[in-house]
Amino acid sequence: MIRLAWRNLQRNKSRTWLTAGGIGFSVLLVSFAMSMQSGSYEIMIDSATRYFSGHGQVSDASYIDQPRFERTVPNATALQAELETIDGLSVMPRVQAFAVVSMGEKSLGGMAMGVDFAAETRFLDIYDNVIEGQIPRASDEALIGSSMARNLGARVGDELIVLGSGKQGAVAAAIFIIAGIVETGQVELDRTLVFAPIAGVAEAFYLQDEAHMLLLMVENLSQLGAIGAQIETKLTGPLALQTWQELMPMIEQSIELDKAGAQLFYSLLLILVVFAVVNTFVMVLFERTREFGLFMALGMRPWQVIGQVQFEALLLSLLGIGLGLALALPLINYLSAVGIPLEYMGGEEAARQMQMGSFDRLFPKATLASLLTAPMVMIVGTQLAALVSTVRVRGIHPVSALRVE
Amino acid sequence: MSDNTASDTPVVYCQDVQRIYQQESVPVYALRGANLTITAGEFVSLAGPSGSGKSTLLNVIGGLDGFDAGEVTVGGTSLGALNASELAQMRLEKVGFVFQAYNLIPVLSARENVEFILQLQGVSSQERQERANSALQSLGLGDLGDRRPGELSGGQQQRVAIARAIVTEPVLLLADEPTANLDSKTTSELLEVLQQLNQQQGMTIVTATHDPIVMSYTSRQVAMMDGEIHQDSAMAS
Ligand SMILES: Nc1ncnc2c1ncn2[C@@H]1O[C@H](COP(=O)(O)OP(=O)(O)OP(=O)(O)O)[C@@H](O)[C@H]1O
Ligand SMILES: [Mg+2]
Repeated sequence: MIRLAWRNLQRNKSRTWLTAGGIGFSVLLVSFAMSMQSGSYEIMIDSATRYFSGHGQVSDASYIDQPRFERTVPNATALQAELETIDGLSVMPRVQAFAVVSMGEKSLGGMAMGVDFAAETRFLDIYDNVIEGQIPRASDEALIGSSMARNLGARVGDELIVLGSGKQGAVAAAIFIIAGIVETGQVELDRTLVFAPIAGVAEAFYLQDEAHMLLLMVENLSQLGAIGAQIETKLTGPLALQTWQELMPMIEQSIELDKAGAQLFYSLLLILVVFAVVNTFVMVLFERTREFGLFMALGMRPWQVIGQVQFEALLLSLLGIGLGLALALPLINYLSAVGIPLEYMGGEEAARQMQMGSFDRLFPKATLASLLTAPMVMIVGTQLAALVSTVRVRGIHPVSALRVE
Repeated sequence: MSDNTASDTPVVYCQDVQRIYQQESVPVYALRGANLTITAGEFVSLAGPSGSGKSTLLNVIGGLDGFDAGEVTVGGTSLGALNASELAQMRLEKVGFVFQAYNLIPVLSARENVEFILQLQGVSSQERQERANSALQSLGLGDLGDRRPGELSGGQQQRVAIARAIVTEPVLLLADEPTANLDSKTTSELLEVLQQLNQQQGMTIVTATHDPIVMSYTSRQVAMMDGEIHQDSAMAS
C-alpha cells in the first residue's frame, strides 16, 4: 500500500513537486517566522527587564497598591538570603523615598533610590549609560540623572542635599557627593533619580534592615515560572511577588498583539496551501475514477480506497514538510548563531524608541512550537483537504466507472 | 457460506433475474427474466447482439451490480440478501474478473498487480510472492513479473489480468469480452490459456463474447436476446 501510494505520487511528478513545494515553502516560511518571533520576544523581554525593573520584584502587597514609604519588607537581609538559596536566582534589595534634592539655591523633587551597586551593575543595563564620572563606591556618593544634573547645574564632585521624611515622619537628611551622571533617555528617570548605596539611604531615612522591594533576576527566563512558584512558598504575610508581566504589562500586551497579527498571516498562508491541496486531489479523483472503480470491483471497500488516497495525501504532506524543514532548520540554526544585524531593518532606532536598552542583532530561536506548528497544521490540513474530494469515492459505482468508453 | 463446488451444487444459479435501469425516468429492461444454471467445471460463452444484456448478467452474477427481481446464487451464497460490504467480500473471495480493457493498475508491476488482490485478502507477504509467482508462471509470464503494464503487449496484459483473477482461487472466473481488443493470433493464445485453466484446474469460466472463435473453445454456448437466455447448447442436447 505504501508502495502504491508512493508510485502514484510519482505518476504526475510536476504536480507532486508543485504541491509538496507549496507545503514545504509555507512550512519554511511559517517556522522561520515563528522562530524569529520567539527570538525577538525573548530579546524584547530580556532587554526591557534587564534595564531597570528586573525579572520580578518582591514587596509588600500594599506597597504595590500605593508606594507609601512605611510599607516595607521587614528583615530584608534574612529574606534575601533565603531567596538566594533558590538555584538560578539573584536577589537585590532596594529602598526608595521621595525627596527634595537641592544644591546651592536650587531644589527639585526627586526619588532617592538606595541600591546595591555591586550586584545591580552586574545584572542591569541602566548603569551602562553613565555619561560622566563613575558608579558610586563610598556610602555617601550618588549617581544622578542627566536632566536633574542639568537643572541643578550640578557636576561630578558637587555636593547634593537630600531632604525627605523618614519613618514615623521624622525628617531625613543626607549629603551625597555626585560620583557620576547617568542618561537613560527616559525623561522621567533622568529628571528624578538619585541612586545611592542602599546603606547610606537606609540610614538617612531611619530604615533598619528593611527594603521597599527585592529585585529578582533569574539566569534563564524560561525558568521564571518554576522559580516564581518556589518564591511564593517562601513569602509570608503581606509580601507579594510581581513578575515582569505585571511590572511591564505593555510588553506583554504588545507581544500578544504581535502574535495575533502573525497568527492571522500564518492562517491565511496555510489556508492558501490547503486550497492548492484540495485542487490537487479533485484532479486525482477526476483522473482516477476508473481505477478506483477497479479497486472496488476487485473487492476493496470504499473506505479502503479513501484510506489509500488519504495515505497518498499524508506522504505528500510529509514530503513537503521534509522539504520545508530541511531548508528551515539549517537557516534558523545558522542565523541563531550569527544573528541578523538589525541596522538593516532600522531595528536599532526602533529599539531606542521603545526605550529598551540596546541590542543590535536579532537571534531567531527554534522552539518546539515554532518548528512543529506548521507541520502539524499541514498534516491535518492536507488530510482534510484530500478528504473533501475522497469522500466522493463512496459515490463511485464500479460498473459505471469501468464501462468502456 | 459454503465453498462447496461439487457438481450437485451449481456454481451459478439465476432464476427469473430482472435488471431494470431508469434512464431519464424511462425504464430500460437490461434483463427481463434470465434463467441460467452453471455447474462446476463448465466453460461457458455468453453471446448475443449488442445490448442483449451480456455484461449486465455477468455484473449481476459477479456481485458488481444489483438486480431488481429474481434470485441469484453464487457458490451457494444468495446475493440478494447481501449488503454492499458483503458483496465486496464475496467478490474478493469467490469471483475473479477479467475485463475487456485490461484494467491493470498502471503504477504497479505485473507481479504487484497480482499480489495486490492477495494483500486485500490479508495474505502474508511471503505467501503472496509465492502465489503470485506461480500464477504468473502458469500463464507463461514468468519473466515479465517486474514489468509495468505499459511495458507489456495487450495479450500479455490480459494474461496478467487472468493471473490476478485466478490467484485467489475463486469458484468462478468471469470475463467480459476479454479478447475484443486482441488480434486473432493473440485471441487464440489467450483462449488456450483459459481452456487449460478450465481443463487442468477445473476452473469454472463464463465469458461474454461476440466472437465465434471464442465460442468454439467453450464447452457450452449460451445466447442472449433482449435480456433473456435465447439459446443454450446444454438445453439443446
Ligand atoms: N447504467 C445503465 N443505465 C441505463 N441503461 C443501461 C445501463 N447499463 C446497461 N444499460 C442498458 O441495458 C441493456 C443491456 O446492456 P449490456 O451492457 O448488458 O449489453 P451487452 O449485451 O453487454 O452489449 P455489448 O455487446 O454492446 O457489450 C442495454 O440496452 C443498455 O443500454
Ligand atoms: Mg457488454
